[in-house]
Amino acid sequence: MVTSATSESETPLLLSMRGVTKRFPGVVALQDVSLSLRRGEVLALMGENGAGKSTLMKILGGVQPADEGEIIVGGNSVALSNVKDSKAQGIALIHQELMLAPNLDIASNIFLGNEGAGGLLRPLARAKMEARASELVAQVGLTLPVTTPVSRLTAGQMQMVEIAKALSTKARIIIMDEPTSSLASAESEQLFEIIRRLKQTGIGIIYISHRMQEVMDLADRITVLRDGRYVGDLERAEASHDKVVAMMVGRALSSEYFPEKRAQTPSNVMLEVRELLVPGAPDPVSFSARQGEILGFAGLIGAGRTELMESIFGVTPARSGEMRLDGKGYHPARPRDAIAAGVYLAPEDRKRHGLVLNMTVAENTSLPNVASYAAFGWLNRKTEQQVAEEGVKRLRTKTPSIQQAVVNLSGGNQQKVVLAKWLAMAPKVLILDEPTRGIDVGAKAEIYRHMAELANQGITILMVSSDLEETIGMSDRVVVMHERRLKGVLERHELTQLAIAGLMTGQEYAAVHQAGGRKAAGEGELTVS
Amino acid sequence: MSLALLLMCIALWISNSDFLGASNVVNTTRQISMLGIFATGIAFVIITGGIDLSIGSVVGLTGVIIARLSSTQTGGLGYPLWVGISVALCAAVAVGLIQGLLITRLGLQPFIVTLGGMLLFRGVSQTIVDGGVISMGDSPLLNLASGGLLHVGRDPLFGWPLLIFGAVAALGAYVLHFTVLGRYIYAIGGNREAARYSGINVKRVELLTYVISSGTAGIAGICYAAYIGQMSQQVGVAYELYAIAAAVLGGCSLRGGEGTIFGVLIGASIMRVIDNGINMFQVQYTDQDGIRRIWRLNPNWNWIIVGAVILVAVILDQIVHMVQAARRLKETSARRPVAGPPSSSPPLPAKSGAA
Repeated sequence: MVTSATSESETPLLLSMRGVTKRFPGVVALQDVSLSLRRGEVLALMGENGAGKSTLMKILGGVQPADEGEIIVGGNSVALSNVKDSKAQGIALIHQELMLAPNLDIASNIFLGNEGAGGLLRPLARAKMEARASELVAQVGLTLPVTTPVSRLTAGQMQMVEIAKALSTKARIIIMDEPTSSLASAESEQLFEIIRRLKQTGIGIIYISHRMQEVMDLADRITVLRDGRYVGDLERAEASHDKVVAMMVGRALSSEYFPEKRAQTPSNVMLEVRELLVPGAPDPVSFSARQGEILGFAGLIGAGRTELMESIFGVTPARSGEMRLDGKGYHPARPRDAIAAGVYLAPEDRKRHGLVLNMTVAENTSLPNVASYAAFGWLNRKTEQQVAEEGVKRLRTKTPSIQQAVVNLSGGNQQKVVLAKWLAMAPKVLILDEPTRGIDVGAKAEIYRHMAELANQGITILMVSSDLEETIGMSDRVVVMHERRLKGVLERHELTQLAIAGLMTGQEYAAVHQAGGRKAAGEGELTVS
Repeated sequence: MSLALLLMCIALWISNSDFLGASNVVNTTRQISMLGIFATGIAFVIITGGIDLSIGSVVGLTGVIIARLSSTQTGGLGYPLWVGISVALCAAVAVGLIQGLLITRLGLQPFIVTLGGMLLFRGVSQTIVDGGVISMGDSPLLNLASGGLLHVGRDPLFGWPLLIFGAVAALGAYVLHFTVLGRYIYAIGGNREAARYSGINVKRVELLTYVISSGTAGIAGICYAAYIGQMSQQVGVAYELYAIAAAVLGGCSLRGGEGTIFGVLIGASIMRVIDNGINMFQVQYTDQDGIRRIWRLNPNWNWIIVGAVILVAVILDQIVHMVQAARRLKETSARRPVAGPPSSSPPLPAKSGAA
């Protein structure tokens, strides 16, 4: 499987990275990673969310220097300590969130930071820049005047401007981080065409994508990362969808890590979602969740899971469709409606949406319900403290006291405060978006145990998770989404990493499902047994 | 905004022909010029997305330093004028440098740093004049405000403040619109991260904008010292707000990334024409008894009118933006069919000109 050393001598190496390590407080983002890129090659870099791809790219772009390891560009060992160094080595980084100034025109963006030699007060050579910019945009197939402001461009056109910008620096190595994630299919095709052309001029391209089909079409070679480590390389000839997925997810399931699943889930439906059209999604989705069930939502970042949850919680109300909660109609227009109905959301970004970091454990726990402890607007601190103490005891939150500011707690304990906040209000449905993100292993197991307990008490949990192991370990059933569509719902006996990873990278349900020989469910269709 | 300014001037001229009389024009132009000088400077800061609240105090500080060092009257030390002016300008630049360093190197918020600066340097001025007034006497500096080129009668056609403003605005427009520094300033205001990822030394550029802002306030301070002649701690109070209002009326967005020097010129003109117009505006009418009377605006309404004009201007601007954004959204969604067959390269809305 690992063939990186075999054919390096054929074409000269543009770039090689050896033993690159990058640590962040509390986490090792990259551990001893190696990678090489030849002239005129498209190297796909693959891995799950959090595998370290973006960190690796930031190191190459000079945005975050590596802690250890060697980077060799064109035969020379180089230090990339800032963006300028990286540019000087002919490396151009195209970010997933495009890095353009919307208030400037195309030509200005292309030459931003690269206006030529001299001081800050030298005049801009507008005419020359515009002429050169016109040539560059023509190379990438844009037919717009280069004086068009970037704010008027589509995502695809902005991508082309980014590539033109890379070309303007005479980059020999272009890194693209999920370039198609915001593109329509026609725009993607155009991008692939340009990538093929760039290849022929000897430029090496590192292509990060989650879309297996694209990678199979474009890449000459695939490097796989997992958990910040290098897993291996595959030449295109030997690569297959299954093989790559297997390398991406390849760790063994540690079953004792997760609480044992119950023999069977209760059958009465708690939340039923019918033909719900989430703003921005192409198709409506339907599914249902039973009482006391943990329903997992798998998919890549951007698959539309968080948006779906926000519609169920009333943050961005659905455009059409129907929801029933515990047999009654449920149509939240704002989070208050959802909370009143007993549907609570623990958001993905705990620190931004879930907690007021500088408030205490007690204040955070009481926040959604503080009005009900207050008589005539006076806070009832006694009840507040009681509720907070109960929450701390119930979830075994490690905090010196309930008067501690949550900013001082660890990630796992912060998440427990979020849970406690909702548990104090007897939820019917609890939506947990990435419940264990950024939480260390020990605390994760504890959160899992609590989730299982809550489900046993009859609370329905919708769990969005990008961690396949967690999704399989915790869920009774799993809804898989891909590009804002519901790809399928997997029953408990169908839950394998391969099946989920296949669906979430765009395979059809029928392909994944054939082994079971059961009726293939169409999009949005759910087996309501 | 230019149109609004023009309409305002025409209305005032119709109501009171003295509005375009020589002495009023000279006086209003001088007011516009002195405001325009430091409004140009603060535009640099605002376009990067920052704010500078200290410039009113810098205007005062400069004037007070000149009076203290160069006045031959009570409280003045009687040094030559050039000493006072040089020290005052150095002080202004130093203020910008210190505040800029605090903002960029320590990552402090510009609002707080310059709010602190505003109070602190006001206090320094107060200490320098010892709570009183230092008169410039008949110092040759006073000619700076009243003199100029091409005299028509007693009034100069081009007063020195106007010429200085012209130079500052021309230099400012050149730097902002035609040099690399200007490009960086817009880029930082538009997308700070993109600027950083493009290898721009964001901190240094931001530092420069605070120095420019404070420096122009210093230049304006010299003009005000010449114009007022009696320096106390009250000179320049709330001028920063006038400058910010002028910049915003002129199309600068406090979010950064937008604005032009020409806009600042228009904005400063509007602010001063309103001020002047409140005094000049009159309606002649004949009452029941057949006596001709003149109705004037109540001078107590000054702040109400200034405030209302600013609010109406930004409300209109926001509405225009919202309408444009909505239209663009509609165009985009119409252009991108959901999961449709690949079409040829998508057309772009043929729009031109500035917003």
